[in-house]
Amino acid sequence: MIRLDSVAKAFGKVRALDGISFEVPDGQITGLLGPNGAGKTTALRIVYGVLRPDSGSATVDGIDLAGDRLSAQRRLGVFPHAQGLYSRLTAREHVLYFGSMHGLSGEPLRSRADQLIRALAMEEIADRRTEGFSQGQRVKVALARALVHDPRNVVLDEPTNGLDVAATRQVRTLLRQLREQGRCILFSSHVMQEVSALCDRVVVIARGRVVAEGTPEDLRRQTGRESLEDAFVAAIGSEEGLA
Amino acid sequence: MSWIAHFWIVLAKELREGLRDRKALVTALFFPVLGPLLVVVMLFLASDSTRQADEKGVEIPVAGRENAPNLVAALEQGARIVPAPADPVEAVRRGDVPVVIVIPPDFGEKLRAGDPAPVRLVVDESRHQSRPAATTAERLLGAWSHQVAAQRLVVRGIHPVVVEPLAVEREDVSTPASRAAMLLATIPFFLVMAMFTGAMPIAIDVTAGERERQSLEPLFAAPVPRSALVLAKVGAAAAFGTVTLAETLVGFGAVPLAVPATRIGFSVQFDPAMLVTSFLLCLPIVLLAAALMVVFAARARSFRAAQTSLSLLMLAPSLPGMALAFLSARPPPGLYAVPFLGQQMIVNELVRGMPLVHSQAMLATGSAMAAAALACAFAARTFERGQPLFDDA
Repeated sequence: MIRLDSVAKAFGKVRALDGISFEVPDGQITGLLGPNGAGKTTALRIVYGVLRPDSGSATVDGIDLAGDRLSAQRRLGVFPHAQGLYSRLTAREHVLYFGSMHGLSGEPLRSRADQLIRALAMEEIADRRTEGFSQGQRVKVALARALVHDPRNVVLDEPTNGLDVAATRQVRTLLRQLREQGRCILFSSHVMQEVSALCDRVVVIARGRVVAEGTPEDLRRQTGRESLEDAFVAAIGSEEGLA
Repeated sequence: MSWIAHFWIVLAKELREGLRDRKALVTALFFPVLGPLLVVVMLFLASDSTRQADEKGVEIPVAGRENAPNLVAALEQGARIVPAPADPVEAVRRGDVPVVIVIPPDFGEKLRAGDPAPVRLVVDESRHQSRPAATTAERLLGAWSHQVAAQRLVVRGIHPVVVEPLAVEREDVSTPASRAAMLLATIPFFLVMAMFTGAMPIAIDVTAGERERQSLEPLFAAPVPRSALVLAKVGAAAAFGTVTLAETLVGFGAVPLAVPATRIGFSVQFDPAMLVTSFLLCLPIVLLAAALMVVFAARARSFRAAQTSLSLLMLAPSLPGMALAFLSARPPPGLYAVPFLGQQMIVNELVRGMPLVHSQAMLATGSAMAAAALACAFAARTFERGQPLFDDA
């Protein structure tokens, strides 16, 4: 379970987050929806511990990131905003490196890497250096290294960005599998269809604040609109930055 | 999981990646050859010019020798007098001849009349290698002038000693070996250059490079103490710097093999103990150099900016070492406490065959280790704060 409590963060004079609070329950997929520049990436970066909030707190399974960052991060699988790879390492070496940073080693680590490589259908690229990988291949490597330690909580920042239809479907299938396993999944998107196709719950943020929260049905009911898209526009008060 | 376990995991990965980096490897393998190679070439050149000068004596072209047969006869006692080229000024400017003495037609007339007889000495002061010939020419002209003056005084019944209040005796104690020592004084400079050059590609790659490739954010999202992260990066850069340093020392150790003593008239000797001592002395500054480079590269805006700032950073500690080559006065002892400079001064003394002064070595090592620890702590703090991922985090 992931929880944000009155989190505020400013970059210079820009208030990226203006006191946002929401909760991400286990066994569900929660979508963080908002126009570009709403603060989605900033919120997620605070959750996975690469940014510190100016005030408020973020917890993972009850562990405060400000207090014990390492324990909280151990419980997180992170598919961050920037997902650069090491061009001189192979796909498998990426998975092993991140696994070892999470404390795995030896045979359990190797078999876990094998398992992920099979699950993501990346056997062919597993032992190639990542230089020249396609966007789809890069996303697979990034997903594998995010999941190597079998995390209870998974945070993904726009995981389907730049993917073709087939790869997008694969990612969605994977997210549903993770939900079936009872994990807590938080992902951000500015793509309406994706959110309505996948999410059990939606948190809509705009200008650094939570403007609506609930199941897609709740949102439609709250705003009195037929489609989720209309509901979303009604919630954020403009059509700016949508896709 | 312990701090040190994280440190080793990250260090192993950075080293593995570094060893697969062709550019970093080429730099680490070939730069160390450069310094020793240069010294070998210079030693050969130096020995050649010394031998030429010794065998043939100095060659001085003289124009208008028929105007002053007595003067020319005197000059021939100290140098080989050869005909001057048609255009003396142009020939000297081009460097065809080091110097030309021009004796005008009215020389004999003025001399007989007791007026100062004109002699032109054409020389290019900016040419270092023409200096011996010019000095010889001046000395020979001065000696003859002095001799004529003495004769004139005798004719007038005055003892020449009257106008010689000073009896200056010049004694040149430079030997081929001491001239070579000046060349060897560039060794500390090359050692510092080597450690920086070897560590630089890694230091940039693991900081500015990693940020530019956007792989720093996933790394920061991993449950690793940031201090372990950054110190592993410093360690990887230092490992490359250490290898480059060792190679350079081995290269200098091989110089005597490449330059036989019979050829240059003296022997260059680096005994292995001296090389090992120099290596150990330099280890703290390798760590300091690596930490400084990681700090600077982490703050650079881009990969390119990091390259520029590190190239400048590299100059600062290596230039004082270069100055050592031209410094003959004994430096004040406090300078041994200046990291980089202290090590270079000590290595310079070792190269000249002087013994290791333990108090100086301790001072230099202690201050360099303190500086390295400080630089590492600073690097750890910047990473703990979230830099270099976000400047304002």
